[in-house]
Amino acid sequence: MATVTLTNIKKKFGPVEVVKGVNIDIGKGEFCVFVGPSGCGKSTLLRMIAGLEEVTEGDIKIGGERVNDVDASKRGSAMVFQTYALYPHMSVERNMGFGLLMNGVPKMEVKAKVDRAAKILQIENLLNRKPKQLSGGQRQRVAIGRAIVREPDVFLFDEPLSNLDAELRVTTRLEIAKLHQALSGSTMIYVTHDQVEAMTLADRIVVLRDGLVEQTGTPMDLYENPQNIFVAGFIGSPRMNFINVSDLIDVGGQSLKMIGPDAEQVVTVGVRSDALAPARANQPSFLAKVTVIERLGDADYVYFLTDWGKELVARFAPGVTAEIGATIDLAFVGKVHFFNVNGNALSNVQLDEKN
Amino acid sequence: MPDLVTSSNFTMWDLFFTQKRKRLITSILLAAFCAVWVYPLIWMVSGSFKPNSELFQGTGLIPDSPTFSNYGRACAEANMQRYFVNTLFVTIGSVVITTFSSALLGYVLGRRPLPGKIAIFGLMVFTLFIPQGYTIIPIIQLLTMFGLGQSLWGLMIATCGGSIVVFTLLFAGYFTQVPKELEEASRMDGVGPFKTFWYVMLPLARPVVVTVVVLQSLQAWNDFLLPLVVTLANPKMRTLSVGIYSFKGEHYIDWGGMTAASTIAIVPIIILFLILQRFFIDGLAGAVKG
Repeated sequence: MATVTLTNIKKKFGPVEVVKGVNIDIGKGEFCVFVGPSGCGKSTLLRMIAGLEEVTEGDIKIGGERVNDVDASKRGSAMVFQTYALYPHMSVERNMGFGLLMNGVPKMEVKAKVDRAAKILQIENLLNRKPKQLSGGQRQRVAIGRAIVREPDVFLFDEPLSNLDAELRVTTRLEIAKLHQALSGSTMIYVTHDQVEAMTLADRIVVLRDGLVEQTGTPMDLYENPQNIFVAGFIGSPRMNFINVSDLIDVGGQSLKMIGPDAEQVVTVGVRSDALAPARANQPSFLAKVTVIERLGDADYVYFLTDWGKELVARFAPGVTAEIGATIDLAFVGKVHFFNVNGNALSNVQLDEKN
Repeated sequence: MPDLVTSSNFTMWDLFFTQKRKRLITSILLAAFCAVWVYPLIWMVSGSFKPNSELFQGTGLIPDSPTFSNYGRACAEANMQRYFVNTLFVTIGSVVITTFSSALLGYVLGRRPLPGKIAIFGLMVFTLFIPQGYTIIPIIQLLTMFGLGQSLWGLMIATCGGSIVVFTLLFAGYFTQVPKELEEASRMDGVGPFKTFWYVMLPLARPVVVTVVVLQSLQAWNDFLLPLVVTLANPKMRTLSVGIYSFKGEHYIDWGGMTAASTIAIVPIIILFLILQRFFIDGLAGAVKG
């Protein structure tokens, strides 16, 4: 267990600045997820913490010690790669114990550690197999096992589930969450582009874009109170609907009114799919035509096209009677987010419900 | 009856050339080609059991009066055992040196950032186009300069040069394809670059190692010009290929002895191939599976 502190971290590849000054504090035993679209610098950040990439500027501290110039193997961290990176010619047991054996740890000790890790991951019966005799999920477990064996202060995961199929991704995700508890709260840093993984696993999420931190917070904090349009759109599935205020005013004669100190600044409103519903009588509403219905069983996602050509999605209870092509009067029924011209969230605004 | 023929969708051709017959015909054709290919070898082996007088009598491949006298002569008079040991020494030595140095070179050129890499590659490839005949004098001169001009060690080292460029390119090409995560994983494990090379990279390159071992063995075992020049003044140092050539006297050629010596010479190569064949197939299967 150790804290990880990043102070004003920058990384340049030649003239291209990939990470542009990142500050993150990760507490002891925290499960921290870096999430962002591809090219946002999240993997580079992880690789810098691991020591596989040099830091151009700034300080990385693990357990309070500056590790910028410390060799990757001496930082007390272990990494799980997206491609597993198992040694193809070695058995599972040797894969897991390789690092320790090469560093002169006695064979018996290595065996004990490998057995313990194998037990945690339930791969005891696979120890004599070669990686190519394993399924994708099993390989990923071996890769995690190799990290556990080293008993690191910090676990680093680089998109560990990306190469698995959808079903396996869900089960392995669950296992990683269990693992975090089983390892009595080791510090874990996890990189993914999948916001569902971030939401489900993280104690804290760091949303990155273009080499900068957009927002840091607990999953629910990011979901409920995104600080800007990017985070609002990135976190949550389906994506949040964004509507230009100018489109909403004087729709069907019933304009949407906003009150509060910052009401004048609002340019965009955001509503999640579950905050859209058919309007009751006298509710401010707008008309939209049903284009597609996705029936998932536990919910129906209904896609609409508004008068002004905007596509929206709403999450309805299953068994919606709406038909494709029908026009429905939609209203805001849940939390509505307000953003100014720069895409920053405004908190001092409310919808005027008295209309 | 004619109705039957026209009503069928199959022509006579189709009916005659069934899959099974097609395979049979292919096999016969290939066997014929194979026979043409192997004939000189068979002739050589059969000749080694014939007395010199019978060799060109056209008595067929089965000797009329089989004899081991050719082998006796090859061993007793022509000193073939000694040549055999010499060749073995040169071959094994050069295979070991070539495999290691080309693997290391290829590893660095294939994976490490190195200034002037393109220029190095260019120079190396350029040397491929120079025929052996042009370099033989400078090579002998170099060997003499290092005091190795008259020794088997010198011959061994000079033999390494023959194909090392090709082998290095083979290794470099292979190592560039190995995902970098493997090295990074081993780096995170605290394994140094040499141990990573030895325990991770080299075992992965086994198909290339096998190829290099086979090709270099063939080249070292069969090389003629270089050993001829190096051992010119010292018959004790001759290798098999040069030794075989010595059956050709100024006025008389001992064909029987020569075929016997040649047969002795090819046995180890055949054995080597039979041993390594399995790995060839392994390597190919691995390449397909990725």
